[in-house]
Amino acid sequence: MSKMYVGENIIKVDSKEKVIGKALYPDDLSFEGMLYLKIKRAVHPHAILRKLDISKAEKLPGIVKIITAADIPWVKNFGLIIKDQPVLIGIGQKMRYMGDALAIVIAENKEIASQALRLIEVEVEKLEVISDPIRAIEKDAPPIHNNGNILATHYLEKGNIEKGFAQADLIVDKEYRTSFLDHIPLQVESGLGVFDAKTEVITIWAATQWIHDTQADMAQALGLPKEKIRIIQPAIGGAFGKREDISVHLHLALAAMLTKRPVKLTYTREESMITQSKRHAFIVRAKTGATKTGYLTAWQVEVIGDTGAYASSGPAVVRKGLYHCTGPYNVPNVKGVAYTIYTNNTYAGAMRGFGTTQMAFAYESQMDILAFELGIDPVRFRLQNAYEIGSSTPNQQILNTSVGVKDTIQEAARMANWKEESR
Amino acid sequence: MSTHKLTIEFIINGQKRKIETTPFTRLLDLIRDDLHLTGTKEGCGKGECGACTIIMNHQLVASCLVLAPQADGAEIITIEGLGEKGKLDPIQEAFIETGAVQCGFCTPGMVLAAKKLLEENPHPNIEEIKRGISGNLCRCTGYKKIIEAINLAAKRLTQQLEEEKGKEKNV
Amino acid sequence: MKNQEGQYFSPQQIPEALEILSKYGKEIKIIAGGSDLLVQYHDRLYEIAGWLDLKNLTELKKIELNSSEVSIGAMITHSQLEKSPQIKNYFPILSRAAAEIGSPQIRNRGTIGGNIVNASPAGDLLSPLIAYEAKLVLLSSDEKNIIPAEQFFTGPKKTILKPNQLLTQIILPLPPQNCYSSWVKVGKRKALAISTIALAMVVKMSEDNQIIQGAKVCLSSIAPTPLEIKEVREEMIGKTFSQVNFTKLAQLVEDKISPIDDIRGTKEYRKEVARRIMIHCLEEIYSCWRDKCLPIN
Repeated sequence: MSKMYVGENIIKVDSKEKVIGKALYPDDLSFEGMLYLKIKRAVHPHAILRKLDISKAEKLPGIVKIITAADIPWVKNFGLIIKDQPVLIGIGQKMRYMGDALAIVIAENKEIASQALRLIEVEVEKLEVISDPIRAIEKDAPPIHNNGNILATHYLEKGNIEKGFAQADLIVDKEYRTSFLDHIPLQVESGLGVFDAKTEVITIWAATQWIHDTQADMAQALGLPKEKIRIIQPAIGGAFGKREDISVHLHLALAAMLTKRPVKLTYTREESMITQSKRHAFIVRAKTGATKTGYLTAWQVEVIGDTGAYASSGPAVVRKGLYHCTGPYNVPNVKGVAYTIYTNNTYAGAMRGFGTTQMAFAYESQMDILAFELGIDPVRFRLQNAYEIGSSTPNQQILNTSVGVKDTIQEAARMANWKEESR
Repeated sequence: MSTHKLTIEFIINGQKRKIETTPFTRLLDLIRDDLHLTGTKEGCGKGECGACTIIMNHQLVASCLVLAPQADGAEIITIEGLGEKGKLDPIQEAFIETGAVQCGFCTPGMVLAAKKLLEENPHPNIEEIKRGISGNLCRCTGYKKIIEAINLAAKRLTQQLEEEKGKEKNV
Repeated sequence: MKNQEGQYFSPQQIPEALEILSKYGKEIKIIAGGSDLLVQYHDRLYEIAGWLDLKNLTELKKIELNSSEVSIGAMITHSQLEKSPQIKNYFPILSRAAAEIGSPQIRNRGTIGGNIVNASPAGDLLSPLIAYEAKLVLLSSDEKNIIPAEQFFTGPKKTILKPNQLLTQIILPLPPQNCYSSWVKVGKRKALAISTIALAMVVKMSEDNQIIQGAKVCLSSIAPTPLEIKEVREEMIGKTFSQVNFTKLAQLVEDKISPIDDIRGTKEYRKEVARRIMIHCLEEIYSCWRDKCLPIN
């Protein structure tokens, strides 16, 4: 086997320019005559926009233009999996979380743009704010989107769950809850846009983890052919899943098109946290059966993933979490259901692990509780149930190569100086 | 309103600069927007992340929490001011060699924090390194490599110093 | 530096600063290190009408020691407090509290005066200062007031400081020979944590180091202002260490505080932790006292 790269210390090609401060991240770029954008965000997490008065803000010296939904009737919704996210909320339309955009303020400098935000007057008709997915699925809960609050339902079945529980000497039934998490990449969302009036090509300098998907999504939202959108990735100050979704891109494109000048938009950290995706908050109800001798017989789960106001990668993340419900442990009988639920929280999407870390909290806690109740050492209990070559996962994939979990558990126990408990 | 102008003078990366600014401009913005030294980054604007770290009057500071006029008469070093005669600072070299650079956004601040730490304490232990960079976040969570890099740089700098001493003796 | 518009003042002398305050005190902001102020006004600096920058007032950058007290200039930074040999020697927990503030970057800019005037319920230096019986010097162009630190704070971010007044010095009486102190800050992490709860304790012993003559316990982040539990004093003064019941004292602290729930901790958590850190501080003080009384042969 070639030893090239594997196990070798390779100098990263871009590390020199990064240590000397010459690597250019979006906010480090600028153009002559550039304008600065700020976004007027929602004033309530769930409300119908009744009035949007930009007249005072427009009069502020240094304001070049303020774009509202009325200026861009041709623009369509965007989204990674489902196109459910509006570019700007129009009169009579709903804001679904605090990050929804109401207006794009374009000014000669950042400060004037910030000041103008405070001069925009907004009137809304408030609706019930749904911050809990359990409330969201109740019959009388107001629908956040037209098709109700259950965005997706996924099922999982392997073996015979009733038979599995019948074989169990011990059944542990618990509920676990995890919270939203922000990726907090050190660089906030930022980008530049330039519209070339001759070629009608929009060039965007901004981060994306899906450069071609972002291009395609922008094109469909703006009603343009893909070749009219060019995305250039500058150096990126961290992503971790947060940059899978569109952030500054469409607002930059519209501002560049409508002003015919180079434009820049950089979020504040607060704006980044309010507006862009999160790790899903999960509710996991897990019921696990095991024999006296410490072998798992059945595992049943119900997963409720709070995907917030928009779909983003939500359906894929929550489904992936469901598939990992038993962790790296052999269970012959598995049954599960996962719901991806809309709420008025900031939307949740991809983040390191894609739904599996939340599940790990649930299944490893279950394993500890089972080991305790059975009076078996938790390391031994894990080892005797861990995957090996030939094991089958909850979605019945047969693992036929490179299954390292037992070695990993043993190594972790060694490093922790784990001594088997005798009870 | 920030239409009020004033002129300040300071030395930045060895160069004397005189520049017009306002009492409402942050030193970070002056460095990035007016001097175009974009190696100094903004991560939070509230002194929490350390991406905007500079060395001002021989001290590590968060440039987002300094008003531009407060830097009048100051001596400032930014990431662009490290290294001599086109050669990288040993700390920068160590960051490259140990793979302590991932997205790179924390790197300028980290390198400057390391610089200051090693100036004050040439032989830091792991706990002291951690305290020295405790005002700088790395969200790629590359701390292990960063600590390794600072350790390596400390060793090299000590070695360098000893060699120089040796040379002096021979002379 | 000249300023045509009168928006940014950086006087060299205190009287000049006081003059500026008597004229513009109501409109302008006093800035020292900026580590709190620029956070509060992040993204809306343009709302500020003007600044009085204390950076050139060298008078405020001194720590001075005489036979009975130490005077700390309001512009002394947390780093300077942490490293000052006098502070370390006479007021060790003030040095420790300063060392645990924020990060190197924050400690290099943030000042003792700023920490006091900002009057955060979580202000890290406030409890140790009150426990050491600090007095504050408040100057205006017409008068000088010296007040006990605990009288300065009236609520979260609220103090008795008038717009024409400047906090110039913090005066700490030198502790007696036999003085012991302890400090615990509980936060979410070591660096850059706003305290969830903190406790400072100073115990002063008689000349023969046997009888407790003074005891001050002050907590922060559990009330709108730093709070001294005065009942501890009554329970401890006039007694020897063997006559003091640590568990009872800790329970007293827990009972006397009524913290609130916030993002850093719940009421229940704070009460529980208050009791435990009180025990911790008593034990630390006791063990320092014992080591001094019974030096290891």
